[in-house]
Amino acid sequence: MSDRFAARSQVAIVGYAHSPVRRHHDVPLGALALDTALAAIADAGLTKDDIDGFTTGSLLPTSGGHASVDGVSVVTANWLAEHLGLNPRFCAGFQGFGQIPGSVTMAVNALATGAADYVVLHRALHNPPRGRYHANPMTHAAGPRQWVAPQGYFGPLSMIALPYNEYLQRFGASRDAMAAVLVEARANGARIPWSYWYEKPITTQEYLDARVIAEPIGVLDCDIPVDGVAAFVLTRSDRARDLPHQPVYVAGYAMGSPKRTRLPTHWPLDDIMEAGFEIRRRLEDATGLTPDVVDVPQLYDGFSPFVYFWLESLGLCPVGEAHRFVQEGIDAAAGGLPILSGGGALGNGRMHGVPQMLECYLQLSQRAGDRQLTSATVGLACHSSPHFGGAVMYTAEPL
Amino acid sequence: MTPDTAPAHKPVPVPDPTSEAYWAAAAEHRLALARCGRCGRFTHPPDVVCPHCLSTDPGFTFEPVDGRGTVRSWTVLRDSFLPGFADDIPFVLVDVELDVQVDLRLIGRLVDGPDAPLRLGDRVVTVFDARDDGPPVPAFALDPTAEGER
Repeated sequence: MSDRFAARSQVAIVGYAHSPVRRHHDVPLGALALDTALAAIADAGLTKDDIDGFTTGSLLPTSGGHASVDGVSVVTANWLAEHLGLNPRFCAGFQGFGQIPGSVTMAVNALATGAADYVVLHRALHNPPRGRYHANPMTHAAGPRQWVAPQGYFGPLSMIALPYNEYLQRFGASRDAMAAVLVEARANGARIPWSYWYEKPITTQEYLDARVIAEPIGVLDCDIPVDGVAAFVLTRSDRARDLPHQPVYVAGYAMGSPKRTRLPTHWPLDDIMEAGFEIRRRLEDATGLTPDVVDVPQLYDGFSPFVYFWLESLGLCPVGEAHRFVQEGIDAAAGGLPILSGGGALGNGRMHGVPQMLECYLQLSQRAGDRQLTSATVGLACHSSPHFGGAVMYTAEPL
Repeated sequence: MTPDTAPAHKPVPVPDPTSEAYWAAAAEHRLALARCGRCGRFTHPPDVVCPHCLSTDPGFTFEPVDGRGTVRSWTVLRDSFLPGFADDIPFVLVDVELDVQVDLRLIGRLVDGPDAPLRLGDRVVTVFDARDDGPPVPAFALDPTAEGER
């Protein structure tokens, strides 16, 4: 067995802030990010001059050919620090797809090594005001796109449709089963004041009636593109105990990666699942905790099939059973496994892995208000597909 | 679109030194894939290194391959995010593992259309979609002579 993660429980989340999530904000994304970061710093009981570290993943996750402009459509760690008038010791961005766990790894490593004392981790998401989010007007396909775009294989909906259909066919599942995931995500999102879907739950029939785009993926299987910013403050556990809120400790993290060269956006189901199994092993090695002790498991749901893939690869239900498990097993209000108690991306808007990380923080620090779960001791926050993303485990008490 | 605007065409592949032999073969309705000059294994698409032997000097050559394979998944597109496909909707894209090598995959249109019965393991053959603006594009057709592996 590997040694435990050397920084296990040495770093904690001590505050947060979340902007309203809207289709389009009338202020620039950078301004929203600055206000949100300052609110998170205040929430943590700190002032901006205490902050000496910044990290984020700043990817603009659209295939639509929209420009990435710092402060307008993306907000990098350097942009945020500079526009707060700070000159931090540590400032770095995560370049992969699992931006939230990736950013957490960078914050934890910086804090545990003393490269920084107080880190702001933010994520700013943007919905370009013109054009369809993923539509691309390309007339020619050069570079990697030449292998797929001429036949019409392009963008993330086709990308996730293939492994999702592979799952449905392999296990004899119906796409109708996913209604339970959407109803739960939106029921919880409807209770979150900053959510795009606040007070807007949906019914099973509304899910079934929604437009199908890339069979079996329909419009409601995708999180809605939005403008929104979230920020967290992290520090070392010894400093965290002096701050106003109950700290939530980082127990460990694990990232996945693809094992093979593939065509662009070609994600066979087995690639996804193998990486998920590996993340489960790495998390157990790092923390000494197994997923069955997690009482706040927040699964990534930017596309709904990821809920099945994470449920099964983490061992929260048997392989091939997720489509049945979600029918009865995930209603948080009824005592089910609360995998979407924070609403997820489907219940908040396209905030990437923010809803998962935030729900772990709110529940484990006892700050979840009327959504507070009876038992909230160990959290797990996933982001992205297992083979491009990762997961972080949190605890209410240091291990 | 205004009436005097030419209809949008599908994205035209732009051959480059790593792909010109692939598109030249497609122009003759032949499927040719990159083979590593060091370990002899195929890879698609060709990468900077051979993904099998990790040679940084793989010396890929494009060699004709048998276009038969097995359906590993599919999707029916009822909308498209690219120009030129509006008149094709709905259309089927299949994820195919070619017989020539384990896990050698190609994604292409299934010319049988969305009403053809389709199951994992169905057998297909490579065909070519003619295009007005560029080289023919590899696609697939159900193989009526084959029993699927199912």
